[in-house]
Amino acid sequence: MMHSTQSLPGAGEGDMRLRLENLSVEFGATRALDGVTLSVAAGEVVGLLGHNGAGKSTLFNVLSGVYAASSGDFTVDGVPAPGKLTPQEAAGMGITVIHQEPALAPNLSILDNLFLGQGLRPSVGQREQARRALAEVGSDLDPGLMVDTLSLGERQLVDLARGFLAGGMKMLLLDEPTAALGRAETESLHALIRQLAARGVTVIYVSHRLPDILDVCERILVLRSGCLVVDGTAESFTGRTLAQALAPGMGDDKFVPARVQTSAGLLRSDGVSVAAGEVVGLFGMAAGEQFSFLAGLFGLDGHGRFSWNDRDVDIASPGAAVRWGIHLVPADRENDGLVSGASALDTVFLPWFSQLPGRGWWVGPAVGENTYAEARKKLNILGPGSDAPIDEFSGGNRQKHLLSRWMFPRQPRVLLLAQPTQGVDVGAKQDIATAVRELAAQGVAVLVASAESDEIAQLCDRSYVMYGGSRAEVPRGPEFSGDLVSTLLHLSDAERPMEGVSR
Amino acid sequence: MKLSSVNLKSFLAKNGIFFALVLLVVFFTILNPRFMSTGNALNVLLQVAELGIVVLPLALLMISGSVDLSVGSIASASAVNSALVMSATGSTTLGIIAGLVFGVAAGALNGFLVAYLGLNPIVVTLGFLSVWGGYAMMVTGGRTVTRRELPEEFQEFGTAAVGPFPVRLLLLLLVVAGVWYVLNRHRVGRETYAIGGSERAARLMGVNVRRVRFGLFAATGLASALAGIMLGAKVQSVSPAVGLNLEMNALTVALLGGVAFAGGVGRVGGVLAGLLFFGVMRNGLVFLQASPFLQTIIVGLTLVVAVALDESIQKIVKQSWATRGKAVLESSIKANGDPGTLVEEGTTEAGERQRLGVGKH
Repeated sequence: MMHSTQSLPGAGEGDMRLRLENLSVEFGATRALDGVTLSVAAGEVVGLLGHNGAGKSTLFNVLSGVYAASSGDFTVDGVPAPGKLTPQEAAGMGITVIHQEPALAPNLSILDNLFLGQGLRPSVGQREQARRALAEVGSDLDPGLMVDTLSLGERQLVDLARGFLAGGMKMLLLDEPTAALGRAETESLHALIRQLAARGVTVIYVSHRLPDILDVCERILVLRSGCLVVDGTAESFTGRTLAQALAPGMGDDKFVPARVQTSAGLLRSDGVSVAAGEVVGLFGMAAGEQFSFLAGLFGLDGHGRFSWNDRDVDIASPGAAVRWGIHLVPADRENDGLVSGASALDTVFLPWFSQLPGRGWWVGPAVGENTYAEARKKLNILGPGSDAPIDEFSGGNRQKHLLSRWMFPRQPRVLLLAQPTQGVDVGAKQDIATAVRELAAQGVAVLVASAESDEIAQLCDRSYVMYGGSRAEVPRGPEFSGDLVSTLLHLSDAERPMEGVSR
Repeated sequence: MKLSSVNLKSFLAKNGIFFALVLLVVFFTILNPRFMSTGNALNVLLQVAELGIVVLPLALLMISGSVDLSVGSIASASAVNSALVMSATGSTTLGIIAGLVFGVAAGALNGFLVAYLGLNPIVVTLGFLSVWGGYAMMVTGGRTVTRRELPEEFQEFGTAAVGPFPVRLLLLLLVVAGVWYVLNRHRVGRETYAIGGSERAARLMGVNVRRVRFGLFAATGLASALAGIMLGAKVQSVSPAVGLNLEMNALTVALLGGVAFAGGVGRVGGVLAGLLFFGVMRNGLVFLQASPFLQTIIVGLTLVVAVALDESIQKIVKQSWATRGKAVLESSIKANGDPGTLVEEGTTEAGERQRLGVGKH
């Protein structure tokens, strides 16, 4: 893999479109971007890859003026961005961001949306200006149309056209633009990207869909834990090598297969089965159906139904799920798992007070201290003491508290984990994997839902791949992570709708 | 920012009301030295006894992320109901029971609409502020139930004492102790904080969010009824406007006492300090012979200031968590080596770069 700035003939050091110099962003104790240095030429189309929490959105947010960098800076065409860049200033510098869901008001017309928040004075020429901006993105939509009559692909075009209003578009940042698009719409978007690039617009493209990235990008960057770890030309990658570049590929040789204890317990639901002692993966798209599958078992949206040892179980609510012994560690730990301000001890024991001595009628300040100390040792939790607010711990240690809550005060029959190691550092991933495998060995059935193949590969004995209602089982093999990705690509190619049909 | 200054700032943010209380007492004492006396201190306490009985359960409700604006009207309606039963039956006990039952029912109705039907608590209880206020006026025809219509026992209730302790003060103490116990030593207290901090997270923990919230509304209704009856006993006659502005004063005290309007934050000690601050302020204004209209203006301004402080206090506390967490992590890294990279060789970020053939720019 060659260094990017040398891989482009003729692109001298001086005429780089975008240049990042040692850019870092810190949020409290976590470092979302860690000294990223890179440069991109005008007209280049760059794919940006990385798992959730790797820093992709943070990078976009810094470039578009939403967050300020903690240190380092960036220049556009050699002009340094001001330290406190506002979104308006970013737009003025020619930077346009397109999100998965176009940021448009559905109850207004295209024209109103284009000029909303631009601070432009209403004038007779507006309609003409709007028409010209739409023509720039190859659309002949009538600016008077209401946005809620447009398809998702058309809305994206309107969003894009907005970038041409503020002045010349220099840089286009695309955040998962094709996640909700059909094949034809994806192809026309890619065609548009190529046109824009030919006219000198620099494009940075974030997507979980590797084929989309390989289709349109010339160069690929991979972020991991806020660091730039891969930078190379797109030709040097295939789907499989990309999956490998994303995966840290560790701990494989130390993996001890589970002792499946089918007689001790076997859960079956909708084509998925998991036995006591086993860790089974559910792999699918980002925010895909594998997560709603877990929520369904937990009784989060209506009743959860499954069979346990061939007897039907009906879970009426999350409360009933916990009483039955099915525990869920949700994917969004900050909003669905943790309570800001609660002490570390309470964070672990909140669901269990009624089962401790005193049955919840006398909860002393040190209740559960022993179990907590044990959990802390088992998961290698670092940070302040048990009475400190959970907010004082770093992301990985917060996640370990959440896992402790559902693993140690009471052993579950079935443990449901949604992306249990997302956004935590390498060491914490290892700690979590060890603890989960250990718990399974004690006879717990574990399901792990994830959109990251290497997370499944690190934790699971086998996995299902879920897409569009179909399931495919993938056994653990030497290329487990790559197998998962290619199975998903296969499923999604077979299932992907031709047009922007709602899924 | 240095850690010590962060700690100091968050300490002041969390405990500012205690200092403000001391300053206020000193202020009034300088203006009028007779202000600082045992007699006047007892006066302040007796003046805010009913307010305190309403504020404490209301604070619990607010910590759970809800609010009840109908407490004043529930107090009026309960007091009126209890007075009418007393004058009809001549029994003080029956009257008090009737008032309390009405209060629980009114609170439970709020709770049902908010917790089980998912209606907005501000709108629902604002509606019942009007409903129960109107009801109290309607059943009495707008007239005060006078002392001649009420049993003698009830008239004594307002001034009754156990030894040197007025019963009204003991009832306040009972409510304080009860709320402290629930919030700090009962499972429901932890669940209340959790619901206020993140309702969704609490539900995912198996907490029965609806039941807890329903119970807190019912308890607030009960306390409002008790306060309304006590306010009547205090002046030995029951006016249908006996609970007027109670919700306004209670909300002010709770916010002054550090209860976050957004929920999840609040302590009994802070609320008590807020209550005393409020009592001292009103008492002091009377001492200075300020116009009652000016007093109303000052209470309103205090509410606005309390809301403004609430916002900035929560921000300062959150910032201090982040800063402190970072400091602890850094010191533990210094002591143990970096936890993020202390795995096997070749899995550190630098190792990965080498393995993948990427140079650091």
